[in-house]
Amino acid sequence: MLGSSFSADTSGSRARSALAIFVAPLVFLMAVGFVWPLIQAFVNSFHLNTSHGIDLEHWTINNYLRLADPLYLEILLRTLRISAAVTAITAVLAYPIALFIARLSPRAQSWMILAYVSPWLVNTVVKALGWTLLLRTNGVVNTLLLQLGIVDTPLRLLLTETGVVIALVPGHFMFALLPLWTAICALDPALSWAAGTLGATPSAVFWRIVLPLTLPALIAGLVINFIMNMTAFAIPMLLGGVRNMVVSMLAYQLDLISLDWPLGGALAVTLLAFTLALVWAGQRIAVLGIAGRAAKI
Amino acid sequence: MSLELVGVKKSFDGVRAVDGVDLSVVKGELFVLLGPSGCGKTTLLRAIAGIYGIDSGSVVLNGRDLTRTPMHRRNMAMVFQSFALFPHLSAFDNVAFGLKSRRVGGDEIDKRVNEALALVRLEMLAARYPNQLSGGQQQRVALARALAVHPDLLLLDEPLSNLDARLRDEMRVEIRELQRRLGITTLLVTHDIGEAFAMSDRMAVMREGKIVQIGRGADIYHFPANRFVANFVGPINEFPLTKVEQVSGRVLGLAAGELKVWLPAETADHSVETEPRLILRPENLRVAVTEGSTDNSFMAEIEDVVFRGGATECRLRIGALKLFAILPSADAAALRAGDRVTVGWNAADGVVTGAR
Repeated sequence: MLGSSFSADTSGSRARSALAIFVAPLVFLMAVGFVWPLIQAFVNSFHLNTSHGIDLEHWTINNYLRLADPLYLEILLRTLRISAAVTAITAVLAYPIALFIARLSPRAQSWMILAYVSPWLVNTVVKALGWTLLLRTNGVVNTLLLQLGIVDTPLRLLLTETGVVIALVPGHFMFALLPLWTAICALDPALSWAAGTLGATPSAVFWRIVLPLTLPALIAGLVINFIMNMTAFAIPMLLGGVRNMVVSMLAYQLDLISLDWPLGGALAVTLLAFTLALVWAGQRIAVLGIAGRAAKI
Repeated sequence: MSLELVGVKKSFDGVRAVDGVDLSVVKGELFVLLGPSGCGKTTLLRAIAGIYGIDSGSVVLNGRDLTRTPMHRRNMAMVFQSFALFPHLSAFDNVAFGLKSRRVGGDEIDKRVNEALALVRLEMLAARYPNQLSGGQQQRVALARALAVHPDLLLLDEPLSNLDARLRDEMRVEIRELQRRLGITTLLVTHDIGEAFAMSDRMAVMREGKIVQIGRGADIYHFPANRFVANFVGPINEFPLTKVEQVSGRVLGLAAGELKVWLPAETADHSVETEPRLILRPENLRVAVTEGSTDNSFMAEIEDVVFRGGATECRLRIGALKLFAILPSADAAALRAGDRVTVGWNAADGVVTGAR
């Protein structure tokens, strides 16, 4: 729409060249900093790593077959398990929190949103250190649980998947919260009033009106949340340790320690394909949620 | 007796939106709340629906005290200015929503939804979604959705203001006919005077959270309680009265300090301290009449004549006093700017009110 209105304009070409000037630095940066290394990784992933460097003469899919190694599969499974757990907890918490915030005064809303965004503004290493203090055997969490009599012996939370999940939930919560909160605020309050005056109880208003109309926003947020969980590095590294290795740590090891760039490339390409498939699926669901009613006719 | 409001008050952050409203709406009547924006009429409607709780006072419907009843148990239905159709539900499901909330059985739902859609002549479009309907059709679905639940009270919040002018006139008649046919007690909020006159059995004019006058449209138009009402419901000519006295059984006043005018008989008790004003509707002025054929008549000069179709507007001057008259175009054909004519009116056509 925007493009066609630009070209229909007599000053369209000038507007387009002005646009190009503004976009060029970004395109350059993306091309040099992201696309080119990605192409490199893609090309490398189809060659063998030898003691003399990468053998660019011969093509092979050997690297991809090596990824099927049980050790690597276990790492992938663990990464998926942690990410899914974090996303599931986020999904459960998102509605109560977003609805609570949306009912506050505009001023209180901005403070609350700032509070939920703040974990993202803190350096992950500092955050991980903070979690170490909270989660260790004689840390705040265990002291509290022991004193309340909920557990008899301190829980082992550090260097476990549980600890990683606990730390990732607040760290990536905003990616689900922000779109959901925005969608809830954008709902015409008259919709809830109409439902209420027609006899729907407050919980029926939520299940029959608010939820169906804002679910696409939550799903969009959860997809981003899941991807962020999949790619998290510092938190799993510092709270999970090498015994709970995740894919990002494996990539670090392959590319920067073993210097096996072809295998690292194969891992990167596999993960990218997997993630893109997920984004696509998430968007399909979100779009279907919106357009489903039109499609039913 | 159907709806009884007693001393209803509602404030937002210390600002009084509704400031002590007493009102009773008769069963089967279409009652209009009329007022400028910000007068509290929509707040009052929402308070009746239970969307807002009220600070004090009571809401009683058919003898049931609903003051503390949550909105979903009041058995009212509301049509919103934005229509508030559920965008993810078809027209059918929108109309069925209230019935499902009331746990009506499936066959009964089908029957009543089709009935309601038939009332607004939309049976054919039951499967459509709100974004596939025109503004007028959306309005009809919203109305059908409200009627389907057989509410004890129908609340309409500026239901026509989102429609274009022609459609608005059509829907005015259509809603009125439906309301009469079903005999459903209805409260309608509007700032549109024409809508209020055309649709209401009775109306209340609101200002700053209070009701200023309640009555039939014609009474409010011809006998406004004060200057605000007079001015709000139609154009007026207004003159301050500096003297009001009884002269041989009739009432004589001095308008604008220079015109001796005969006033309606019932205005004798207006003292000069209330800053009384003489208010004249422009269509009550007779232009180019024979001197003496009306109680009051003066020589005036025509400043401007504006043809408006069936009616013609005429601006006149009596000395320095400006007057605005509206007369049937048939009577105005000969009038030209600059003509000197006699302008007159009968004493009973004027209204005397205080300044407020």
